[in-house]
Amino acid sequence: MLENVIEVKHLAKVFGNQTALEDVNFSVQKGETFGFLGPSGSGKTTTIKILTGQLSPTSGEIKVLDLPFLSLKKSDYRKRIGVLTDNSGLYQRLSIYENLKLYCQLYDVPIKRIDEVLETVNLASEAKKVVSKLSKGMLQRVTLARAFLHEPDLLFLDEPTSALDPVNSKHIHKGLKKLNDKGTTIFLTTHDMSEAEQLCDRVAFLNKGQIRLLDAPKMLRLKYADESIQVQLTNGKEILIPKGPEGADELHNYMSKGQVVSIHSNEPTLGDIFVEITGRELI
Amino acid sequence: MTFRVKRMYAIFQKDLKDLSKNMYIGSTVFMAVLLAALYGRMDGITLELHFMVINMTFAIVTGFIQCAIIAEEKEKNTLRGLMLSPATISEIMAGKSLVSFITTIVTLIICMWLTGYTPASILPIAIAIILSIFFYIAMGTLLGLLSKSVMEASVIVLPVLFIFGFGSFLVGFIDEYPVLKVIEYFPNVQIIDLAYKVEEGLGFGDIWSHLGVIMAWVVVTALITIVVFKKREMDE
Repeated sequence: MLENVIEVKHLAKVFGNQTALEDVNFSVQKGETFGFLGPSGSGKTTTIKILTGQLSPTSGEIKVLDLPFLSLKKSDYRKRIGVLTDNSGLYQRLSIYENLKLYCQLYDVPIKRIDEVLETVNLASEAKKVVSKLSKGMLQRVTLARAFLHEPDLLFLDEPTSALDPVNSKHIHKGLKKLNDKGTTIFLTTHDMSEAEQLCDRVAFLNKGQIRLLDAPKMLRLKYADESIQVQLTNGKEILIPKGPEGADELHNYMSKGQVVSIHSNEPTLGDIFVEITGRELI
Repeated sequence: MTFRVKRMYAIFQKDLKDLSKNMYIGSTVFMAVLLAALYGRMDGITLELHFMVINMTFAIVTGFIQCAIIAEEKEKNTLRGLMLSPATISEIMAGKSLVSFITTIVTLIICMWLTGYTPASILPIAIAIILSIFFYIAMGTLLGLLSKSVMEASVIVLPVLFIFGFGSFLVGFIDEYPVLKVIEYFPNVQIIDLAYKVEEGLGFGDIWSHLGVIMAWVVVTALITIVVFKKREMDE
């Protein structure tokens, strides 16, 4: 049986008279990359803050790395996790190298590790640069590097590539996959569906503080695919043919006449599924 | 939870490097030294004047620098990063206070040299100064935690610095306003009373009450600071 790194049961969080999370249940297995998808204000960051001991739950039970909530502020737990949130700051007057050196010392990591993580986030040549001179995207990459500097058992990433261009996002995704291959479990929040599809083994759709759907991206797309395939013909027309035996003759007919340019299964994107389930766009 | 000197030292080293590039630290120290240089040129400088410079140094160097360090960490969200690291509250606080502590000691030595203050007995004065530094560090930390930015910190710190930096002047108004009698128990006034007794050649048996009062200020302020820090640890 696979070991659960995160277990959340009936989690709720209320701020004043506003409910941020309501009866949230999920578990994350060891070695998994788990995505929490939802629009702004859906409760993604609140969940990360609770799982990292920065916020206390109103009710419910949580266990992270086999530790109950009350142990999540302990040094031993923090040694095993890495966190990137929207409020992760850097020392502006120090260089990238100096910022990371502090965290190497705090986590008891050899200083040479800085070169490796800077390579991963595509900043190897910028180590001496003072943080106040960095662009928003570069800052995001440095905070990300800091989050996985110590190769944590569990990495929490809140919108890890939100400020990045496609080239750097790709670089980061590669680095995260490498880290995941080495055994780090990743819990990430995003509203970037392609990022979720590329990185996540399973995703949960969060809307108005509730999980509406949870499964592997591929399974969700298959489950919500309609019963047809999309065929592009040589005359420029695009037609839908039923997937079942009833469409076989029609497809055979086009193929035998050499009229087929391409055939695609008609699966929805995760974004389409989210809209179908919640009636909201992922913005 | 064990205290790791290595982690505390890492935070101290970082602060030292960070603050060496920071203008307000240099200008704050310069102000205290300038004041000491000006008073040092006066003839017949009294013990009260020596301690006005010392108390001013506590207020503007120890209190203000500590307050600004903490407020800046909060403003830039770097304190959260430290809190999410394996560093404990005591390691973070000790690391962050060490810079203010060392800066204060160096500034005090320069100021005392400039004003020409040589206590009759060094040990009791040294103990009182160290206890006072702890008090101002705790007070600075508390005010820094209560501020949202360095700008806010520099405003919030002013009345407190005035009371503890210049409060000894108010002792002269106690007869007129009895409510001000409470000032006699302030650490800045206690250290002056203690210094007078040291100059009279009195020993620890006669000064322990003053040390006790300053210590009480340290303990109470430190406890309030820990409670506030624990509250700030959570993002409620």
